Amino acid sequence: MSNFRRGQNQSNPNKLNAILSSLIFILILNVSIQIWLLYAALNNALDNNKEILIPAFIASLILFLIGFGWLYYLPTGNTNTKK
Amino acid sequence: MSKEDNLNKNWKKDFPIEKQQATNVSRRDFAKFLTLVSGGLMVGSGLVAAKAYMFPKEEVEGEHFVCKKEEVPLGGTRGFVIEGSTIPYILIHLETGEFKAYEQKCTHLSCSVFYKPGTGIIHCPCHEGSFDAKTGDVLGGPPPRALPSLDVFFKDNDVYVKATTHQEKLG
Repeated sequence: MSNFRRGQNQSNPNKLNAILSSLIFILILNVSIQIWLLYAALNNALDNNKEILIPAFIASLILFLIGFGWLYYLPTGNTNTKK
Repeated sequence: MSKEDNLNKNWKKDFPIEKQQATNVSRRDFAKFLTLVSGGLMVGSGLVAAKAYMFPKEEVEGEHFVCKKEEVPLGGTRGFVIEGSTIPYILIHLETGEFKAYEQKCTHLSCSVFYKPGTGIIHCPCHEGSFDAKTGDVLGGPPPRALPSLDVFFKDNDVYVKATTHQEKLG
């Protein structure tokens, strides 16, 4: 049985491609910012500057939550197009 | 149907994925993996913050005798360790006559640094890092931070060190 979603997916199969690619792009961006935050936090911790550590952790947490929320939009794929 | 044919047919049914396909990572799995990495980095950041607040680096307490003034010639150095600690320090007698004490571990990867007599530069041989012998600041190379220093003071002819006071650190 077909429904609206399936019909849409069949007529525009490239949409999944765009969604997945942008999702992965944003995740990579988030991870890069987190690596930078961790690097900066570690350097400042070793230099005894503690003020920056908590904000860096909170920023990292927010970025993780954004990435985790993104997974909700992860497409499950066109199940009906399988052979 | 021969036995071989039957076997060939059946194992393909039991393992319907080709070997090459089995090593492919789908973009969906890659996205999930990236989120896992993101979570790991978040936890790492949290650990750095927790470590800094709950187990702060121990500061040198009190005053410690190092050696007598005449034991270190002009441009010479002397390594020492403070009692109850394993961190190596060097005492440097600069050509200007000043005495300076720094941690002997390069801030890059903890190699031992040494003073180059006559140049005013503390050098790290591992990756060609250099520090200013007067202040401990980085002059070049990969080290990210200045060398931690100790205050040097004298009692008659004896050289003593103590922890650097906070005001001087800022200045």
